[in-house]
Amino acid sequence: MGEAKQVFEPKIVGFTCNWCTYAGADLAGTSRKKYPPNIRIIRLMCSGRLDPMFVLKALLGGADGVFIGGCHPGECHYIKGNFYARRRIAALRTILKQFGLENRVRSEWISASEGDKFARTMKDMAEEIKKLGPIPMREKIV
Amino acid sequence: MKGTELNLEDLEGFFKGLLEKNVVDALIMPHRVGNKVSYMLVRDKSKVVKPESVIFAPSFGVNAGNIVKGWMIDEKVGIVAKPCEIRAAIELIKLKQLNEQSVLLITVDCAGAYKNEVYAAHYAEIGDQVDSAKLKELEGKGILIREACAICEHRLADIGDIAIARVAGKVVVAGLTEMGEAALSAVGLPLEDKTKVLERKDEKERIVAEARQQLEKLPKIPSLEDLETFLGDCILCKNCRDVCPVCYCKECFFDQPLGRPVGGDLLNLAELRGAIEVPANQLLYHLTRVYHVCTTCVACGACEDACPKGIPLTRFYPVLAQKVQEIFAYLPGKDAKEPLPFTTYEEEELEECLR
Repeated sequence: MGEAKQVFEPKIVGFTCNWCTYAGADLAGTSRKKYPPNIRIIRLMCSGRLDPMFVLKALLGGADGVFIGGCHPGECHYIKGNFYARRRIAALRTILKQFGLENRVRSEWISASEGDKFARTMKDMAEEIKKLGPIPMREKIV
Repeated sequence: MKGTELNLEDLEGFFKGLLEKNVVDALIMPHRVGNKVSYMLVRDKSKVVKPESVIFAPSFGVNAGNIVKGWMIDEKVGIVAKPCEIRAAIELIKLKQLNEQSVLLITVDCAGAYKNEVYAAHYAEIGDQVDSAKLKELEGKGILIREACAICEHRLADIGDIAIARVAGKVVVAGLTEMGEAALSAVGLPLEDKTKVLERKDEKERIVAEARQQLEKLPKIPSLEDLETFLGDCILCKNCRDVCPVCYCKECFFDQPLGRPVGGDLLNLAELRGAIEVPANQLLYHLTRVYHVCTTCVACGACEDACPKGIPLTRFYPVLAQKVQEIFAYLPGKDAKEPLPFTTYEEEELEECLR
């Protein structure tokens, strides 16, 4: 009683493509853009490497949100990896939508030169997940 | 679609002909064993006995697609089954788990089916075949068709190589593909004087309307908490995976150490959270599996029948899969030539589904 309520700091897991969003995040850092420190980045060689199971595992394993960053459509380093990724993410989000979880998974196309867009996206996403609160049943589910 | 009208009794000669003329080397078709209906793999034509009394039997035990999953054979097998089973076989062809040239798919009309144990128990009342009026009558007696069948929109035989439709006490046999037509001509069909055009638009519309109504009535699972309650009794036996015709990974993630955490892994996790539910991975297993089958699920409901805990999985797998199939405008098992949604793409699409 009387104690200040602890502020909820969401955990966000980010899967980013080596050739674009990861470099974009690097650029955001080297150009000293400010963004909230909630994201933990996992680098993939392509957004097409993302098995939607990674997202489910993250959400059920303690993440409050998942961010997926890939190259702009048509600019994939491997020609079409992000096109396949787009279909997979769309399907996964359709499933999550049934349980009201779709807003915890967000994907964005961010190129290596868009450090500013990366910082902005992180800020948006951290705010949104803060509003949503922790993932339900965090203590319980595995 | 055009076909030859035959009497029910003529079907025996038709199936025997397929074996006799070597159109197929074997037939997988329903057989009656007492009150029960089960599938048999038939190579000797003398074993085809009164097929008309059993191929339309409203009983669902196993999905015939699951029987032939992974049969990469040189022989040719004819499969006589309900639309959902043939659709599963077509999906397996696309998934390269079945050789298109080694199966002759023969679809029969289905009015909806009972669980095989229900069918066997009430055989006296149900009989050899049912129509929608009979289904209503039985519903009044508390004998209900499977939930998956109640929400099924695709009960009429209109896919596969050959369709066997029931029309006013007779059957119409129609070839739908080149392979199907070749098979029919080998057994002396079509008969010019008995040709009938099969347009069942009204019936199709009625079935779709009824099915959508039933789907509306199904209890929903609106949140993660509800899903956790819904799956609460799951013992992770993975029967739903094993009987699923389109769940086909040779090595399932959930049979491997990462998917089946034990001992130290769980102790560490429990230390982190204070307490965890065991056996672990219920939600991850079902959510992963629903993603894996989301484009190919033919909504046959075999998962629900196989669940030893009686979890009504039809409310989960087919219902969610249908939502995903909607965004890709894809109907599994419609056409063996149509690519699987995850193997193709459009340059501009789906942006609204991403954030």
